[in-house]
Amino acid sequence: MGAKTEMRYGSLSRFFQAITGLFIIFFLGVHLFAAHINFGHPVAFFNSVLLQLRDPWWFAFFLIFVYVITYHGINGLKNLIDDTSISVRAKRRIGIILYIIYFITIIYGTILTILVVQIPVPS
Amino acid sequence: MVEANKEIKEGIWSWAKFLRKGIGYFAFALHRLTGIVILFYLYLHYTVLSNLLRGQASYNAIVRSITYGPYDSFLVLDFLLALVIFYHGANGVRLALNEFGIGLNHNKALFYTFEIIAMILLGIFDYYALQFVGVGF
Amino acid sequence: MVEEYEFEIKRKDESGKVYYQTYRVPKDQISTVLEGLLYIKENIDHTLDFRYSCRMEICGSCGMEINGKPRTACSTIVKQLKKDHVKIEPLKHYRVIKDLVVDMDPFFEKYKEVKPYIIRNDDGVYDRELKQTPEQFYEYANYSMCIKCGLCMAACPIVGSDPQYLGPAPLAAAWRFIADNRDEGAKYRVAVIDGEEGTSRCHFSGECTEVCPKGVDPSFAIQKLRKVSFKIELASLFGRS
Repeated sequence: MGAKTEMRYGSLSRFFQAITGLFIIFFLGVHLFAAHINFGHPVAFFNSVLLQLRDPWWFAFFLIFVYVITYHGINGLKNLIDDTSISVRAKRRIGIILYIIYFITIIYGTILTILVVQIPVPS
Repeated sequence: MVEANKEIKEGIWSWAKFLRKGIGYFAFALHRLTGIVILFYLYLHYTVLSNLLRGQASYNAIVRSITYGPYDSFLVLDFLLALVIFYHGANGVRLALNEFGIGLNHNKALFYTFEIIAMILLGIFDYYALQFVGVGF
Repeated sequence: MVEEYEFEIKRKDESGKVYYQTYRVPKDQISTVLEGLLYIKENIDHTLDFRYSCRMEICGSCGMEINGKPRTACSTIVKQLKKDHVKIEPLKHYRVIKDLVVDMDPFFEKYKEVKPYIIRNDDGVYDRELKQTPEQFYEYANYSMCIKCGLCMAACPIVGSDPQYLGPAPLAAAWRFIADNRDEGAKYRVAVIDGEEGTSRCHFSGECTEVCPKGVDPSFAIQKLRKVSFKIELASLFGRS
C-alpha cells in the first residue's frame, strides 16, 4: 500500500478556469452590448469611455473584468505550456513568469483605469 | 515518473492537427486556437486602451482610423474576432458544465447545440454591428 | 485477374532506417487487416514484423495505425475501410522497435503508477468475501474491460505533445479501482492522478473514447476522477483528510 504523497491542486485550478470562464460569458455579454450595440458607434469614442468609467458600478465592472479575463487567459496559456514535453522545472518557471505577467497586467490595468477616471471630460 | 522518450513526442503543435479526427478533437483544437487568438487580442486591446492617457485627440484619431479608414479593414478582423469569441464561449460553457459533471454522456449534442446558439447570437450581434458601419438591410 | 488490396506499410529495420513498402494482397484471401499482414508474412515477405495473439480483440497485441486511425488489426475488416489502399503504420506516441512492433514498456510503467489493485485500510484478513451488489459492480464493470491495447494513448493529443502525461488507459484504470466499492485507496492515488501529469491535463477531446475497441470510455472516467480528486483537494485545503 502506497503512502500518501504530496497533494496537488490540478482539479481546483481547472475548476477556477471553468468558473472564470462562466463569469467572462456574463461580463463579455454586457461589454459587447454596452460598447458595441448600445453605444451608437462600433468603437466608443473618448468621451463615451470616460463618462462610462465615472459610474462606480462600471468602474468596478471593468476592474473585475480585467482581473478575471486576464487570469483565464494566462491560466489557459499555462495549461497549453504544461501540455508540452519540456521539463517539470521549466514548466514551473514558466508558470511563475506567467503569474508575474498576470500581476503586472492587473496592476497596470488598475492604474490605467484610475488614471483615466481622473481625466476631465472635454466639453 | 516515466522518462519522456524524445522519439515519440509529436511536437508542440501536434494538438492542432484535427483533420480526420472526431468532433470532440475538432472542438478541443479549435478551443485552443481561439484561446490563443483571444489572448493575443486582449493584450492588443489593453495597448489600444492605454492611448486614452494620450488625450481625446490621439485616442479619437485611432478610433476613427480603424472605423472609417485608413485602417478600417480592421473591422473585418473584428467580425472574425467576434466569431472566435462566440465559438470559444459556447464551447467553454460546454466544458464548464463537464467540470460540474453535467452532460458528460451527451457531449456531441451539447457541442452542436451550444455552437448553433452561439452562431445565432453572433448573427444578431453582426446585424447590429453592420448597421453602424452603414450597411443597410 | 484477381482483385488485390494494396498494403502500404511503414517499416523500420534493425539499422533504424524508416521506409514505406507496398504489398499486393488478393482480396479473396483475407477479410481483416491482420489476415492481410499474415498473408504478407507467410507468402511475400517473412521479414515483416508485427504483434498479434488472440485474433479476437481480447489480448490487445495488434494495435496499429490503419489509414490514419489507431485500430486493432484483428478486428479491422478491410472491406469496411472502403479503400483498396490500406496504409499501416506503427502506433503513434510509442518508440518503434521494428516495423509495426512498438515498445509498450513505458505504457505499462504508467499503468503501475496509478496503483491498479484494490487498496484497503485493514489487515487483509477476512472471514468472508467482500460483498458487492450488481449495482456496485456495474459502476466500474465497463472500465475493467480495458485490454491494454494502448490505442487510446496513440490517439490522445496530450500524450503526443507530452509523453509524460499518464494518459487515458492508466487513468481509466485508476477510476476502475476507485469506483470499486471494495477499494479504499482513493487518497493514495489522488496525488498521482491529479499530479502534474494527471487528470488536469485532459481536455476532453474524446479521441480515446472514439478509438477504444472495447467501449471503455476513458474520457468519461477521467471526468469522474476529477470530481473525486476535486473533493479530496478541497477537503485538504480545510485540513480534513
